[in-house]
Amino acid sequence: MRIAGTSYNDSIVNQLNLLAAQQYELQNQVSTGQRIQTPADDPAGMAQALNLQTEASNVDQYSQNITTLQTRATAAYNVLEQLKTISDRIGEITTQAGDGTSSATDLQSYATEVTQLIKQAVGLMNTKQGDQYLFGGTASGQAPFTMTTDANGNVTGVSYQGNTSVAESEIAENTTIAVDTPGENNSGTGPRGLISDSRYGADFFNHLISLQNHLLAGDTNSVSTVDEPALLNDENNIIYQVATNGAVQSQLDAQATIASNRESGLQTSISNVAGADLTQTLVQLSQNQTAYQAALQSSANMLQLQQYLLSYLP
Amino acid sequence: MLGLFNILNLGARALQAQETGMAVTGQNLSNVNNSAYSRQRVQISTSIPTPTAVGLEGTGVQVTGIQQLRDSILDGEVRDESSVGGYWTGQQSALQNAQAELSQFLDLSASGTDSTSSTTSSTSTSSLSDQLNSLFNAFQSVATDPTSTAQRQALVSQAQILTSSLNQASQSLTSLNGTLNTALDNDVTSANQLLSDIAGLNGQIAKATANGGSANDLNDTREQDLEQLANLTNIQTTANTDGTVDVSVGGAQLVSGSQVLDTLQTYDPGTGQLLIRTATSGTNLTLTGGTIQGTIDARDGALQTLRTGLDTLASNLITQVNNIYSTGYDLNGNTGANFFTGTDAATIGVNAALQNDPTLVQAAGVAGAPAPGNPGVSGAPGDNTVALALAQLGQQPIAALGNQTFSDSFARDETAFGFSLSNANNQVTNYNSVNTMLLNQRDSVSGVSIEEEMSNMITYQYAYEASSKIITTTDEMLQTLISLKST
Repeated sequence: MRIAGTSYNDSIVNQLNLLAAQQYELQNQVSTGQRIQTPADDPAGMAQALNLQTEASNVDQYSQNITTLQTRATAAYNVLEQLKTISDRIGEITTQAGDGTSSATDLQSYATEVTQLIKQAVGLMNTKQGDQYLFGGTASGQAPFTMTTDANGNVTGVSYQGNTSVAESEIAENTTIAVDTPGENNSGTGPRGLISDSRYGADFFNHLISLQNHLLAGDTNSVSTVDEPALLNDENNIIYQVATNGAVQSQLDAQATIASNRESGLQTSISNVAGADLTQTLVQLSQNQTAYQAALQSSANMLQLQQYLLSYLP
Repeated sequence: MLGLFNILNLGARALQAQETGMAVTGQNLSNVNNSAYSRQRVQISTSIPTPTAVGLEGTGVQVTGIQQLRDSILDGEVRDESSVGGYWTGQQSALQNAQAELSQFLDLSASGTDSTSSTTSSTSTSSLSDQLNSLFNAFQSVATDPTSTAQRQALVSQAQILTSSLNQASQSLTSLNGTLNTALDNDVTSANQLLSDIAGLNGQIAKATANGGSANDLNDTREQDLEQLANLTNIQTTANTDGTVDVSVGGAQLVSGSQVLDTLQTYDPGTGQLLIRTATSGTNLTLTGGTIQGTIDARDGALQTLRTGLDTLASNLITQVNNIYSTGYDLNGNTGANFFTGTDAATIGVNAALQNDPTLVQAAGVAGAPAPGNPGVSGAPGDNTVALALAQLGQQPIAALGNQTFSDSFARDETAFGFSLSNANNQVTNYNSVNTMLLNQRDSVSGVSIEEEMSNMITYQYAYEASSKIITTTDEMLQTLISLKST
């Protein structure tokens, strides 16, 4: 084929442009570590990467939800622990007072102690975590329990102002969990009340007030026949709640681990789809640079040769 | 017998012929870098022999013409390929601009494996897909901690980032659309200018060849114009016997001989998107190649699909979110307000009242009886039913989006767009290869080779010297002849 003068130059320029463009692309891939940056780089891969990223983002959010819930569950557990301690002490008091061997002054001091324990329990039940009360159900903006006392400082009544609904939160796809417990649930349906639930005969505060009054009146018979079994029942209820809280925390922990593993797996997948294989890319870049240098050199030689004929003319 | 004087004439004609050869060589050499130039060759043949007693005797050499070496078939192929290239280049440039405006880049460094170091829930990610994810994540955060003012504020901020990104993308794509329409106008103006240039050249060429001459350089210029026109729009050419070329575009004849019968014009068929028609006869044209049609197809094809996709996404987001949200109750027990305002990607916005007061975010499913002593406050601030439903909306297939979730639908639109641009890129690469090949072939026929011209130059120079020798020798012979009779 006959080669004209301009053919050399055009083909050199074309080749150098091509190599330069390839170099630019490879350099980009190396510096960002990504094979795909824009949709046109690899449309199908981009779609895959976007879907994986969405999933990873969801899983990350679940992890954050779990962390928030774990904090609430732990706070609730601390209260439950202390309630259990109070209940244990109440148990001791009812046993000692109920066996009829205590003196009147002993009974009075027991009564005073019970009054104090009631007030302490009410304070515990009004615990806040963040800016939400823990045991008011979804009516978490105000203290769930209010207490009335008489002139002598004895507790006359404790009433519940919260509701019986609890909020569900999502910890995985289509998996929600409620970590809260309403303080009281006497409606007959819904989550089990913490200190009072009509279905299980639990009514901690009223039974405590009854105990306090019986002790004040010196009625040890009622203490042992009425209050003691009632308060044992209340304690079982509290123990049940402790166990439930433990189960909820285990579930949260397990789910947190699953989420963390999923996140790692997804990041690996995203990397596989969209990340650049650095070894391969660097080798290609090196080859490209060699080719570029070779092209430059050969074109320089070629352009020089074109002048030879001119120099041969006299 | 010729006679000495005729031999002088012979020598003179030979000198002229070699001179012409040198001139043509000079012309070729000067145009060695002119890519539109086709090399010329002087055609030399023996001049008319004269009858003599011993038969026909040669009278020397004459220049019968200067021939241009062009292959019209190759020219046609280059023009056609130029149309194809113009079409795909037009598409590629329009779609690359759109991709930049959309700024949907994949950024792997923005996400991490440990949720404490991850930034996917932060508010500073740049691409629409990330922001869409972040919106639903923000709903999740509010659902998990409904009374937290900080989470509510974060939700409103995240929604604002998303809406302003959608606004911006929509606006940029709309203005790109306008730019493409302007480009069409400019291209049509250029095309019309080329049409009139071609007609003018046709006239000059017709005049030059009418007397049997050749119009080599005018042919080159006209061919260059035809190629540029072909790049803008696919043309059909008809060569006439008088050397003129008729040009038709899309079936409508625009140039006949030296006359421009009609020109191209852009017009608005009522949709705001310009199309092409002939100016005088008003025939709507559907072109098959060239930058003009490439721009139109990109504008009405991939770009329009992208814009529609964004609008559909935005309008469904607005409707679906508002449907759920308006049933919710805020921390003051009020209900009924909307979360998003607007109707499409250009107008989507966040309810202005929420920006100032995040307690107005309606996250609860019930109002709850207000607490005694707190009449204006919702009695169930911990209720998160509506917020939870909004969070789960992110994973629900939406019927109007082809039964895909919002994120999947957006990813699908991105992919379709990516394929269009990727295809255009591939086609441009193919065009470059084919074009290079065709140009090389054309160069091998029409290109100037310096070596060849140099050796021709040497040839003509020696021939000139040899011819001059004829004259000087004949001159001496004449001198001898004349000195025969000396007094």
